[in-house]
Amino acid sequence: LAMSRELSRRELARLVGLGVLAAPLAAEASATPPRYPGRVGLAKLPPPPGAQALDPAASRVALAAALAAATGLASGRAAAAALFRPNDTVGIKVNSLGGPRLSPRTELVDAFAALLREVGIPPARIIVFDRSSRELRRAGYTIRRAGAPYLCYGIDNDYDREPSTSGEIGSCFARLVSTTCSALVSFGVVKDHDLAGVSAGLKNLYGLIHNPNKYHDHNCDPYVADVANHPFVRGKLRLVLLDGVTGQYHGGPAWRPDTNWPLGLVAASTDPVAADAWAWKVIDAERVRRGLPDLQDAKRPPRFLATAARYGLGVGDRAAIHEVMA
Amino acid sequence: MNEKLSRRDLATIACAGAAAALLPRPADSVSLPEVGAVISGDDLPALEASWYKKLPEGRVECQLCPRACQVADAERGGCGVRENRGGTYYTLVHGVACAVHLDPIEKKPFFHVLPGAQALSYATAGCNVECKFCQNWEISQFRPEQVRSQYLPPEALALFARREGVPLLSATYSEPVVFWEYVRDTAIAGRREGVRSTVVSNGYIQEQSLKDVLPHLTAMKVDLKAFSERFYHEMVRGELKPVLKAIEVIRASGTWLEIVVLLVTGQNDSEQEVRDLSRWVKTNLGGEVPVHFTRFHPTYRLTNLPPTPLSTLERAWQIGKAEGLAFAYLGNVPGHPGESTTCPGCGTRLIHRVGFQVLENVLKGGTCPRCHRVIPGVWS
Repeated sequence: LAMSRELSRRELARLVGLGVLAAPLAAEASATPPRYPGRVGLAKLPPPPGAQALDPAASRVALAAALAAATGLASGRAAAAALFRPNDTVGIKVNSLGGPRLSPRTELVDAFAALLREVGIPPARIIVFDRSSRELRRAGYTIRRAGAPYLCYGIDNDYDREPSTSGEIGSCFARLVSTTCSALVSFGVVKDHDLAGVSAGLKNLYGLIHNPNKYHDHNCDPYVADVANHPFVRGKLRLVLLDGVTGQYHGGPAWRPDTNWPLGLVAASTDPVAADAWAWKVIDAERVRRGLPDLQDAKRPPRFLATAARYGLGVGDRAAIHEVMA
Repeated sequence: MNEKLSRRDLATIACAGAAAALLPRPADSVSLPEVGAVISGDDLPALEASWYKKLPEGRVECQLCPRACQVADAERGGCGVRENRGGTYYTLVHGVACAVHLDPIEKKPFFHVLPGAQALSYATAGCNVECKFCQNWEISQFRPEQVRSQYLPPEALALFARREGVPLLSATYSEPVVFWEYVRDTAIAGRREGVRSTVVSNGYIQEQSLKDVLPHLTAMKVDLKAFSERFYHEMVRGELKPVLKAIEVIRASGTWLEIVVLLVTGQNDSEQEVRDLSRWVKTNLGGEVPVHFTRFHPTYRLTNLPPTPLSTLERAWQIGKAEGLAFAYLGNVPGHPGESTTCPGCGTRLIHRVGFQVLENVLKGGTCPRCHRVIPGVWS
């Protein structure tokens, strides 16, 4: 359904307002995990000098603060308790394509997994994953198929045996997604993408299917939205987390040493479309600041955001998202 | 044996590595033992691609197929088997075979190439299109690290064929265009060993890359999947026009050409489309190019359609003949007269086939024994 820009903004603003006010109550009253449409929680976390690791304690503080800001709840732990149940099996899809310099930092992933454990989810039901164990290892993750503090491994070739269809895509989904996990978290980064425009929380979901290489035409639209709209994903995706400590405004998806900048933020949102709209906004701002054309003029706007919004997956209008700084 | 079942079975066996010995299959394929080292996703060999150009900022443009993918660093092309690593484009499937079998050449199908001969058939993962009715999607629609493969460099394949006394190599099953360097080098190695090479392809390839390899090939079969851009767009995620161009290039090259048209129920099987296709072949390639109208079986993303009715196939067969195709055949209809080769001059049955088996071949030096008409093909 096509909506005018004016109507869309008005409606979105109303939804944002409702979300802010009603969500804490809803979290208490309902077994359905709460959603906060349009709301993106942010917390500051400056990059350490050089290639040093993040301070674990600072990472924990920032991640928890972003979660609290995304939900309006009192703490990161309260947010985690509202979004996940102790009987959940939580799959955390990280985007490790960019290697050690442009993947979600392990200190942040560790901090999030700790929050999940604190709300009663055991290590064996917290699974950090990506397309391949090889890429995870290269990005600095430790492959772990058993034990604490959480599991971590690649999908490798463990896909459903038959493809399923969502919109234009026909793909075999990772069995982790279709079968194993009851809840999903997309843990991405904030980076430019050569074809999609932006790779943050939604494009990261391409790693759930066996054939993402088939779906890069037309700025990955509607394919990114089609993956997110598949029942395996739409029914399970509870949260998007973005490691925005360092962003990359050009030349993605691979790491480039000359086109990143110290964004210094961790972002969290229960609205996957809004999280990406925020990433688009900050990437465009940095591109313009450096004299580059914005993504629209560079002929690779993230068109999939409008499609995802049309599917009802969240708020795609950059002007309508509600940023809440912790 | 039903071709659909056979192909899927083969792909499964290949990917599971279950073939520990020669496993004869009646009138069909022979699976081969894994003779090469098993390859995992961590150690895919990377060979610089032969057809691409470098673009600014570390990007590359593939010049192998008409998709002409522009690929950023760390990304792959639409085929899933070619990767940009720091501004250099690599094929990740050179020598990385995920299926290796001995097939009768009739299975490809080639009906005018050494009837009854065996072909050492090989494939890697990957494809440059996505047919919703793909019979081999378990390998064609996956990336190389997602299927079990063995390392069989071109020289090993060629040597293996010669030692087994197999006269033909055949790149097939998935899409040879995506492993074009492997096809080229295997054909060159095969020629050194006295083994000829054939290719079974969708024909979705750029003209120059095709011309670079054609001189090394004895025969090429092209799947002409329909005669409408609509079908190519909706069912194949490809384009018709470049395929027609490729077919013309093959025909002009002197490499033996056969065409297969899979008639998908209700999608590309109208009388008018079959007639237009047949006329195009007659006009642009000549009436002596074999055209196989073959039966669709529901699979992959098209499980909601029934198999092609025999009446539809027979109608296409009749249209093809009426439009001047001297060698119109039917496929996937074992025992049908449309599987056999008949002399267009006097009507004598020259090669009697049932399924993939040749029961009788009365050709004498490539000519009809009755009217002495020359039958085009590769007969010796």
